[in-house]
Amino acid sequence: MPTIMQRYVLFTFIVLFALWLPFDVFAHGVDERTRAFLLQNTGVQIIPFLYIGAKHMVTGYDHLLFLVGVLFFLYKRRDILLYVSMFTLGHSLTLLFGVISDIQVNAYLIDAIIGLSVVYKGFDNLGGFSRLFGKSPNAKLAVLIFGLFHGFGLATKLQEFQLPDDGLIANLVAFNVGVELGQFSALAFILLIINFWRKHHSFTRFATSTNCMLMSAGFMLIGFQLTGYFIS
Amino acid sequence: MQKVMPKTTPQAITLTNTALLKYTLFSVIFAASALLIVILPAEYNIDPTGIGQKLGLTVFHDAEIVSSDPLSLQASAAVTETIAVIVPAGKGVEYKFIMEQYQKLTYEWDTDSQALYFDLHGEPKGDTTGYFESYAIATLDEMKGSFTAPFAGSHGWYWKNETDTPITVQLTVKGEYVQHGLK
Repeated sequence: MPTIMQRYVLFTFIVLFALWLPFDVFAHGVDERTRAFLLQNTGVQIIPFLYIGAKHMVTGYDHLLFLVGVLFFLYKRRDILLYVSMFTLGHSLTLLFGVISDIQVNAYLIDAIIGLSVVYKGFDNLGGFSRLFGKSPNAKLAVLIFGLFHGFGLATKLQEFQLPDDGLIANLVAFNVGVELGQFSALAFILLIINFWRKHHSFTRFATSTNCMLMSAGFMLIGFQLTGYFIS
Repeated sequence: MQKVMPKTTPQAITLTNTALLKYTLFSVIFAASALLIVILPAEYNIDPTGIGQKLGLTVFHDAEIVSSDPLSLQASAAVTETIAVIVPAGKGVEYKFIMEQYQKLTYEWDTDSQALYFDLHGEPKGDTTGYFESYAIATLDEMKGSFTAPFAGSHGWYWKNETDTPITVQLTVKGEYVQHGLK
């Protein structure tokens, strides 16, 4: 009988393989084929929306960077579940609210804020906030807030497609469930690597440089998105 | 096999003020250099150092994209038009819209109660083989929906009147198309 670990690994790879088949990384964008689908879609389409929700998460490198930061020092299953659900809660609220009430937020600014979230987590992991202010901000609240921003960004992008009202709510809910599923598959992958690495001495040795690079990647995202904002 | 988390599992990193400052500065400087040397030249053709050009990263912008995004075109002029198409008794009629790829058409049509056999389809521009792609085939007295042209060409309906009286189709469309008419 396979051990739980083996089954977990197998499951992870099956899910990832399924999600990664049409792999074009386009952080938070919508690729050509999805675009064509969204433009033609009518009525309730649970599975396709579930899928694009999941794909959006698995292929969004900025979000994956944030997840790496959040998971870096988390290993209790309960904590992980809690953090991920906080994010999904925030994300779902603003995505639904944004699309239903036609609120558009500039996507560059939102993506810059997501970059900022990566910087925040990297700095937090380096112990920066505790060093500066004596304590670090409430991580669960931070994840919730960044989830809220993230949802607004996607709401803006989905509105470009003038989704038909027919079945809109069901489709959006399916999309959000997909986001959660996508998160779990990305999470499984990241956790597997981090947990494996945690057992080695190099984890402690490289923890500082990893988080430093994470922070740097966040700064790059901010610069990239803000430049896009100012020149477009 | 039960694995116990080693007691040494790190919970946080503790750095001295100097080290924290050093790492933060490094991350900013590293990000700034990556942006200025690689990312901005490649993504936006902004190349303050000139290194991007030397590395050949501005190549993505050398050939300016001629055709603009079809989606942005679409947002412009979408007017609603109503067309009356008479389908003679026992005859078939084809009414088509010339559309570019990805242009979208929202439509609604009904007859005066008689159901008509129809084939909603598209033919690629310049095609001589007689190829067409059907989007919907049915026998109905009304229809409502929208479609996005999967390719440039003529897209529209073939209606077949199998009764012995002419039937008028009231067709209302809204969307982007170059021209339309009987074919």
